Amino acid sequence: MYTAQDLISVGISALLTAGLYAVMSYGLAIIYGVMKVINLSNAGFVMLGAFLTLVYFQQWHLDPILGAFLNLPVFFVMGWLVYRLLVRRVMTALPIASLLLLFALWLVVQNVALLIWGSEDQSIITAYTYKALALLGFRISLTRLLVFGVALAVLTVLHYGLGHTYIGKALRATVQDPQAALLVGIDTGRISAVAFGLGTAFAGFAGGLLALLFSFTPDFGGSFQLKSFTIIVLGGLENLAGVTVGAAILAFAESFAVLFMRASLQDVVAYALLVVALIVMPGGVAQLLARSRS
Amino acid sequence: MTAALTLEHLTKRFGGLVAVQDVTVEIAAGGITGLIGPNGAGKTTLFRVITGGVRPSAGRALYYGREITGWSAHAVCRLGACVTHQIVRPFADLTVLENVLVGAAFGGSHRLGGLTARAEAEAVLEFTGLARRRDVLASTLTLAERKRLEIARALATRPRVLLLDEVLAGLTPAETDQAVALVRAIRDRGITIVMIEHVMRAVMDLSDRVLVLNYGRLIADGLPAEVTRNPQVIEAYLGRDFGVM
Amino acid sequence: MRAARPAALAAPVIGILLALVPVIAPRNVSLLNLGFFTFLYVARGVAWNILGGFAGYISFGYAAFFGLGAYTTALLWLRGWAPVATYPLAGLVAAAFSLVVGAPTLRLVGPYFSIATIGVGEAMRILALNLDRVTGGASGLNLPTTVPSKGWFYTAALVCAAVSFAIAAGVRRSRFGLGLQALRMDQEAAESLGVRTALFKNLAHILSAFLVGACGGLEATYLQYLHPDSVFGFTESISLVLITLIGGLGTLWGPVLGAAVFYAVQDYLLASYPTLHLLVYGVLLILILLFEPKGLAGLAARLWRRMQVSR
Repeated sequence: MYTAQDLISVGISALLTAGLYAVMSYGLAIIYGVMKVINLSNAGFVMLGAFLTLVYFQQWHLDPILGAFLNLPVFFVMGWLVYRLLVRRVMTALPIASLLLLFALWLVVQNVALLIWGSEDQSIITAYTYKALALLGFRISLTRLLVFGVALAVLTVLHYGLGHTYIGKALRATVQDPQAALLVGIDTGRISAVAFGLGTAFAGFAGGLLALLFSFTPDFGGSFQLKSFTIIVLGGLENLAGVTVGAAILAFAESFAVLFMRASLQDVVAYALLVVALIVMPGGVAQLLARSRS
Repeated sequence: MTAALTLEHLTKRFGGLVAVQDVTVEIAAGGITGLIGPNGAGKTTLFRVITGGVRPSAGRALYYGREITGWSAHAVCRLGACVTHQIVRPFADLTVLENVLVGAAFGGSHRLGGLTARAEAEAVLEFTGLARRRDVLASTLTLAERKRLEIARALATRPRVLLLDEVLAGLTPAETDQAVALVRAIRDRGITIVMIEHVMRAVMDLSDRVLVLNYGRLIADGLPAEVTRNPQVIEAYLGRDFGVM
Repeated sequence: MRAARPAALAAPVIGILLALVPVIAPRNVSLLNLGFFTFLYVARGVAWNILGGFAGYISFGYAAFFGLGAYTTALLWLRGWAPVATYPLAGLVAAAFSLVVGAPTLRLVGPYFSIATIGVGEAMRILALNLDRVTGGASGLNLPTTVPSKGWFYTAALVCAAVSFAIAAGVRRSRFGLGLQALRMDQEAAESLGVRTALFKNLAHILSAFLVGACGGLEATYLQYLHPDSVFGFTESISLVLITLIGGLGTLWGPVLGAAVFYAVQDYLLASYPTLHLLVYGVLLILILLFEPKGLAGLAARLWRRMQVSR
């Protein structure tokens, strides 16, 4: 059957994937946490992030990892504008209205990208794209390792930022209790704009990293979108820290499932987990843990 | 004569919080029973455990001797016990008539045919004084009218027991008098009423009997005059320093 | 329950006029094709609206029912069944599946239901792609080529649209429809008044899934070749969402207007890019969500009222 070496190899792959998944889903989690809005355009911005990174690479020979970092401010502004111009106007309507609005935005973004770049596969090949490192007897692709490292670094900075800056604390306060946040003088309107900007920035950033790992088209992002949802539901919808847990669960479930079934069915794992998680434990793993404690 | 509502050791826990604790009471058919207590005492939770599809952690609820513990809201309504909501919830995009029609068409043990349901709805509108507003969208009603619509909708389900949750809150004195008259008129039709209220003057005036809830426990049960003099009740509302008056 | 008098007559009249087209112009293939696809969109949009508009549950996964219906017809047809006989069965298979996925997911609140339906729809597509022995997988399924005339297809699609419309109109004026509307506006309040919300939601789901499934069967007969990405594709699911939202969610004529416009735009733009019409729809949907939530039907109603006032 499978040797220990095989299993560990799959495990390492899962770990690396988990890091990427976490970065990809953080944007979604922030927006949902602060505004209770389901951002269906997240995938569109991930895709756009990949394409813009491609443009930086083609025009200025900018390394994709640096390109991803460049995306952070660029996409922050984009997200901030989207909130101010569009999302803010439907915040008073039913939650489904914002979901549909962002869905429509995703359609627009995806098709504008199609218009500009066409539907062929694009990829970014750098000097180190095909290199691999030998670590403890395993060969690990250098790009995957780099992406994992960068993701880990950024998540750590984010964690620190959320804990120690005013904006970070304001964000977390609004996630926990919007009414109370208002009462203590937090401008929830501005915080929402920041949250949306931050969420979009992360999407763009994730897109840049993904561009280093995969080839992409404007259709890119669709399956990642659902995976991001699965992750935040698994981690607990109101729980920012839960994103890493959710990302790990999905990455490991997917990677090990492939040992038993066809690779082309891999996405079904995410979808099945999503539906089951929504129905059985909407509070995610955090809820399960809390229940077992009491 | 079977009691309209019987509650036996009803308890409801939410995690570590005990919202309703060991409530046992028999409410006779006909008449008005007031349910009072400080904010957060568990009054609305008690209503929801009886009729709102919330399963109690312990205890039973019976409607005319029939076990209804944990029944879904729609089943209890069709049996004959209907509840109104503290924060009124009209169907915003339906007219006043259509709102009441929902109650008429779906409530009650016998399903009413189209025309009969409509006639029933019109009759209820007439009874509650909303007939002039029948074709107006519910979203355009004033608060007093919405409260009356809430009652009308519940009445249209032809209940034998009506649970009113703070129907007098937020009304002007004139509107309160009108609402009190309506509640009396409903009682005169033979419907058993249990009402949660904070407007003391009205609830003491209306009730034949008053139950007092504090921290989920029933701390007093009796005539209005007795209950207002009960030191435990005074303490519950005003705190220990005012306990001796 | 507020049926307007003019509209009640308009539907049968329009229907009869449309039915005469194949009689008048039996050889105008492009017109008959236009009719076929538009009527099928009307039929599906109107059906989707029963759950999406009346009950308020926006599903992004109706391609699952469309695809199931299409493949049911395809597989039975390949075994010698007459296609027409398979359409009701196609509907039944879709309806049965809708009950299985609907019972748990309809308990979720609005946006979460929508997300779950995306998952279900996509999962079905991937499963269909992988069950190659049954569905032909990625190489698709070739179907018999002896088919009726374009005129027949036009009329069959018109019948589907008419049946769908009639059912939706009937539901809207019935007690069932009142219950659906009540539960859309306030589920808890509706429950407390005796509405069996769980039952009604599932009934609406099953009914609309049946209609969409039957349409799938008809489309399979027309296409003569099935591929999971076409009938189970996400584009199919979002078409129904777009049609109804742009036309007017919850209105009776909204999906009809939306379908007509949708197909016309799609057909016109198809030459340049296969999905460019989606860009137009995305923009339209944004505008509608921001300015006129009742869609084209709402706009039409406003114009009508303004014309009444200025007389």
